[in-house]
Amino acid sequence: MGKVIVVTSGKGGVGKTTSTANLGTALALLGKTVAVVDADVGLRNLDIVMGLESRIVYTSMDVIEKQCELSKALVKDRRVDGLMLLAASQKNNKDDIQPAQMKAICDKLRATHDFVLVDSPAGIERGFSNASAGADEAIVVTTPDVSAIRDADRIIGLLQNERIEPINLILNRFSPELVGNGSMMDQADVLDILNIDLIGIVPEDSGVITSTNRGIPLVYEDTSPGSQAYMRIARRLTGQRIPIPDLEHKGLLTNIVNWFTRKR
Amino acid sequence: MNISIKQLFGRRPKSSNIAKQRLKLVITQDRMDVDDRFMTRLHNELAEVLAKYFEFSVNSVQVSLKQKGNSYVLVADFPYKKFHDMNVGQ
Repeated sequence: MGKVIVVTSGKGGVGKTTSTANLGTALALLGKTVAVVDADVGLRNLDIVMGLESRIVYTSMDVIEKQCELSKALVKDRRVDGLMLLAASQKNNKDDIQPAQMKAICDKLRATHDFVLVDSPAGIERGFSNASAGADEAIVVTTPDVSAIRDADRIIGLLQNERIEPINLILNRFSPELVGNGSMMDQADVLDILNIDLIGIVPEDSGVITSTNRGIPLVYEDTSPGSQAYMRIARRLTGQRIPIPDLEHKGLLTNIVNWFTRKR
Repeated sequence: MNISIKQLFGRRPKSSNIAKQRLKLVITQDRMDVDDRFMTRLHNELAEVLAKYFEFSVNSVQVSLKQKGNSYVLVADFPYKKFHDMNVGQ
């Protein structure tokens, strides 16, 4: 039996879909079987971010309306073994699906996959209820700014009401330079406010934009900082213990000392 | 001239610290489901009662909710000038 994890945030634009695409791909690269589910009915994007948009025939709506079998609606990602996408319907809206129907889909998927990642829409309304209905665990994505953190806190409260745990935090678009000069809250500040466990910090990485342009998740190239951060988070999701590296920008002196003492 | 020496030579507080403080306050209120109107009412009613006992400037009074671990505390700051003589008028 696999795990169902909802990826959510409250606020839009903080990186839910990017995180779902990269973590799903990363888990598959680690040899796990993964189903990623787009729960953003009416505003689907997981397909285009993953580069699978031209291959969508059926959606979760068709499965619910019994137009097709679940296995037929799943699109196989041909670049890696064990990765499937279930797309959302683009012509319906969130109220056309009931939480119980989403839960039924998640329960079926967990029988055949190690991980089911559900990409939640922004907001706290029906779309969120649908996305979290079948979840055992949650990943909350936030950026280090006031509006994203406030919304994340609201979402954490709702997840706790639904008895979903653990709730793990991804701190996205983290800028070591801005933290270093006091213009951005660091991870300690964010954790002090939100009071949940941190599963990873993803640094600001322009590679996210180019990889989204191409429809090739960042984790396929293993050199960029964002890619490495997502690979580490995926390993942590599989139970490996990997320390969270200190991304904070050091002063000039520390950098000089590090340069002389670096491993060659 | 209303510019103090501190403003001229002191460093501005880091914006990340300001963000954290503002967030802590607003999230505490969000979690407890209290709004500004409630806090203003609480502030005014507390001031009304306490004015019977001592003298203070209403502008100096601060009432806020703070998080302490997993619980919340109501912090009311009433810097007083002097106590009223409670024997007078009895």
